[in-house]
Amino acid sequence: MEEKPNHKADQKIGKVFLVFAGICIVALPLVVFSAITYAPKEIIATVLETASFDFDHNGKTIFEKYDLISDAYLKSTSTGRTLSQYYSRRQYPGSPPEIPHPVEAHGITLGCLTCHASGGWTESLKKITPVTPHADLESCMQCHVRPVTDTLFRAIDWRSIPPPRLGRSHLPGAPVPIPHDLQMRGNCIACHVGPGTVAAIRVEHPSRGNCRQCHVPDLQVEPFRR
Amino acid sequence: MDISRREFIKLVAAQSAAATAGVLFPGISFGAWEKLDLSSGRIKWKKTPCRFCGTGCGLLVGVAGGRAVAVKGDPNCSVNKGLCCVKGYHSIQVLYGKDRVTEALVRKNDKLVEVPLKEALDLVAAKMKETIKDHGKDAVAIYGSGQWSIPDGYVASKLFKGCIGTNNVEANARLCMASAVTGFLTSFGLDEPMGCYDDIDHADVFITWGNNMAEMHPVLFSRMLANRKSKGHIKIIDFATRTTRSSQASDKSILFRPQTDLAVANAICYEIIHNKWVNWDFVNKHVSFHKGKTNIGYGIEDHFKFKDKAETVDFEQFKAFLKDYTPEKVEKISGVSAQDIKYLAALYGNPDKKVTSFWCMGPNQHTRGTWINNLIYNIHLLVGKISTPGNSPFSLTGQPSACGTVREVGTLTHKLPHGVVMKEKARQLAAKIWNVPVTNIDPKPTYHTVEMFRALDRGDIRLMWIQATNPMVTMPNLNRYRDGAQKEDRFVVVSEIYPTPTYDIADVVLPSALWIEREGFFGNSERRTQHNEQLTPTPGNTMCNSWQLIEVARRLGYEKQFPWGRETHIEDIWNEYIQFHDNPKHRMAPYKVLQARSGVQWPFVNGMETKWRFNPKYDPAAKGEGFDFYGKPDHRAWIWLRPYEPAAESPDSEYPFWLNTGRVLEHWHSGSMTRRIPILHRAVPSSYVEINADDAARLGIVNGSKVKISSRRGSVKMPASINGRGIPPKGMVFVPFFDEKHLINEVTLDAFCPISKQPDYKKCAVKVERG
Repeated sequence: MEEKPNHKADQKIGKVFLVFAGICIVALPLVVFSAITYAPKEIIATVLETASFDFDHNGKTIFEKYDLISDAYLKSTSTGRTLSQYYSRRQYPGSPPEIPHPVEAHGITLGCLTCHASGGWTESLKKITPVTPHADLESCMQCHVRPVTDTLFRAIDWRSIPPPRLGRSHLPGAPVPIPHDLQMRGNCIACHVGPGTVAAIRVEHPSRGNCRQCHVPDLQVEPFRR
Repeated sequence: MDISRREFIKLVAAQSAAATAGVLFPGISFGAWEKLDLSSGRIKWKKTPCRFCGTGCGLLVGVAGGRAVAVKGDPNCSVNKGLCCVKGYHSIQVLYGKDRVTEALVRKNDKLVEVPLKEALDLVAAKMKETIKDHGKDAVAIYGSGQWSIPDGYVASKLFKGCIGTNNVEANARLCMASAVTGFLTSFGLDEPMGCYDDIDHADVFITWGNNMAEMHPVLFSRMLANRKSKGHIKIIDFATRTTRSSQASDKSILFRPQTDLAVANAICYEIIHNKWVNWDFVNKHVSFHKGKTNIGYGIEDHFKFKDKAETVDFEQFKAFLKDYTPEKVEKISGVSAQDIKYLAALYGNPDKKVTSFWCMGPNQHTRGTWINNLIYNIHLLVGKISTPGNSPFSLTGQPSACGTVREVGTLTHKLPHGVVMKEKARQLAAKIWNVPVTNIDPKPTYHTVEMFRALDRGDIRLMWIQATNPMVTMPNLNRYRDGAQKEDRFVVVSEIYPTPTYDIADVVLPSALWIEREGFFGNSERRTQHNEQLTPTPGNTMCNSWQLIEVARRLGYEKQFPWGRETHIEDIWNEYIQFHDNPKHRMAPYKVLQARSGVQWPFVNGMETKWRFNPKYDPAAKGEGFDFYGKPDHRAWIWLRPYEPAAESPDSEYPFWLNTGRVLEHWHSGSMTRRIPILHRAVPSSYVEINADDAARLGIVNGSKVKISSRRGSVKMPASINGRGIPPKGMVFVPFFDEKHLINEVTLDAFCPISKQPDYKKCAVKVERG
């Protein structure tokens, strides 16, 4: 695991995520959504309080509080990467994201994997590099392209499904199911562990490497019928 | 089959109800797209071939609320095994451009105005009747496409060739695949590759001929890279006229001067013989030698005619012919060092290495396209590296159904679904299946594509119906053909999905259903037929191209030949069409099998697909020991003596640069689809001219500055790209042709291969100035 940048604010937020991740793991039954929102500061305080709770006995309360966490909180991160950015680079959940930084025009593969195969600090961009979940594929620009303009050629009426909601377990204390397709994204560690990841989807028990021992895909396709 | 409005409403209601739980827990408001009011993940995944190139990737399209919302690669499809390219992943967005053509339009007082679809179809039928009455049946023509679904091309051929009785049926595949076809027919007697994409997983060496696969066939290119990464010993050699992403990712890049691939291919054969690498066992049993006419012209003038004549020769004559092509002599012609030529020959000649050659538009869009196709086969035949896993001369296609609809259905002037119009037996078979008198089918071919547009300009053709292609961007020497199409007394019908430069010159526009808005079939490069069901409703009054043709056919009085119902016509057409191929050399899979699988390779015999043709181990039509090249009467593959001849137009003092044109990864063909996909447009928003840094410095051109490119036919201004994605050598410029604002085809030359009649978009002479 990469070392986190030694920064006060980062450390504080890092702690918050530790708790948040804990909540995710011990996530509880789904309850009716409440539309109350709080200012981010208060929310952080709320979450920190729950740290003293006994998860096994007060899970429902914790979960209800989790439901109150605002988008602003979920979007924050220690590396400047947020879920909001994550989706803004995609056309639908699961589409190949566009390249958010300048690239050598006359390239195809070689450059990308130098940083994105294993992550780490990139001095030129002052960023911790996210890791690709499919480093075995070398022809990166086959799927990932760099936008050079914001404009459209013609307007489009494009709609897709909303991104999956986080942290939804089926039973009290059960591990969260995987809310996305695993094709091209079967390497959980790449996106869910380490400082380059989006904080909202980071797990804090990476040493338990056999992720799918506990986490299984939940894609809500067709209900099971015999 | 169409999804009716009622079914559609039911579908949406059901999905909304099922999504109630999701509404209670809405997702975070993230992402750049408008959210459907549905629970996340509740989508149905349906298979379809991709809409774009000829690779034929299998996609799984996620459908929710009657809309296509997501794409993933189909893991069950052996073509791409779950991986796509950026075009494929975003392909479904092409359905939703806001300027989609959804109503019929008719030109009134020089303006296209919306009319009821019935009125437009009545007008097309009436105009066809009138034109045939006044000017004869050969005054009406249909110009289709390798993007036609198989039933579209089949119905077009049946209507024009079988019912109306004109051979004025052509398709844009003439501009992209004709030399591949004539290459196959002259060397093997049967069209389409003997191998398949599995060759990529078996070969030790890949040699790409004028083929930027990293951008044009990215899924196949990355499959080569993945093999190289996992096996270690694999070599990829890029043999091309310009440095591209493919060159960069290859183990070695070898540049040759335009047109001199002919000389280098012969030099490789010279070296193979000189070094005694000939596989004599193979050559003695399975190869015969032939020569054709030389100095065969370029077809620049109207009414150009050429017919090749084969003469059987022997190996000694072949060897004597190659004396002009020693590596040292060819180095002077081609600019490829003798050492590199010897290296290429050694790779082909090494008996321990399995070699696959890939090519596409480089050898095909070539005024000696048939020849260079023959010459690559010559190399493989001399060393016997063919029709076995990993040993494969592989001609790739550029369109999703260039093979399926144009080559197999035969939507070209001389072709029928089985055989050629010149052959009485082929006409009889067609007449029987089509239920028309055999005398209806004209035994004389009329116009190939370039000549068809010349005929429209001259007035020999008065009415042309264009479907699923955009010739007012893609025809070479475009100024002439656009002026011709707009002359008085010309009537142009365009079946389109978006406004394009071709739409702009139309007298009638018919709104077409697109790709997964209708049921259909494509056929890819490796003889694979791929079915898709209708996945989303047809917008507005759009109608699939097949049904437009059927509507007009019925108005012309051919109800008997087009009796099918709207709901089942695609299946009915398939069942009729496959009667043409009911033999072990070409049998097609039944409808039900195609419905169930992610593509099926023909010949499909006794429930088995054929991966390697001409090899009795894999091909039930092949008999005997070793190989059986049953396409030729002598059951041998033909090596051809084909010399180097210069291009139709080479740089001179007035026009000192070669102009090369092509595609980029993000855009496909004329860009009418890919430019409406946000991520693709944003990555490459406009065309540009690639110029070598030395030439640019000499001319005072910097990156992004306006450059004027002119030829004897026209000129165009566009921004310069120096040391960008591709780097042409000194003396060459390269322009992607997707951009309707920068019509590079006003500059290109309409010279073509006299055998295949395919134009050469890769070579003409231009002058380059600061704009």
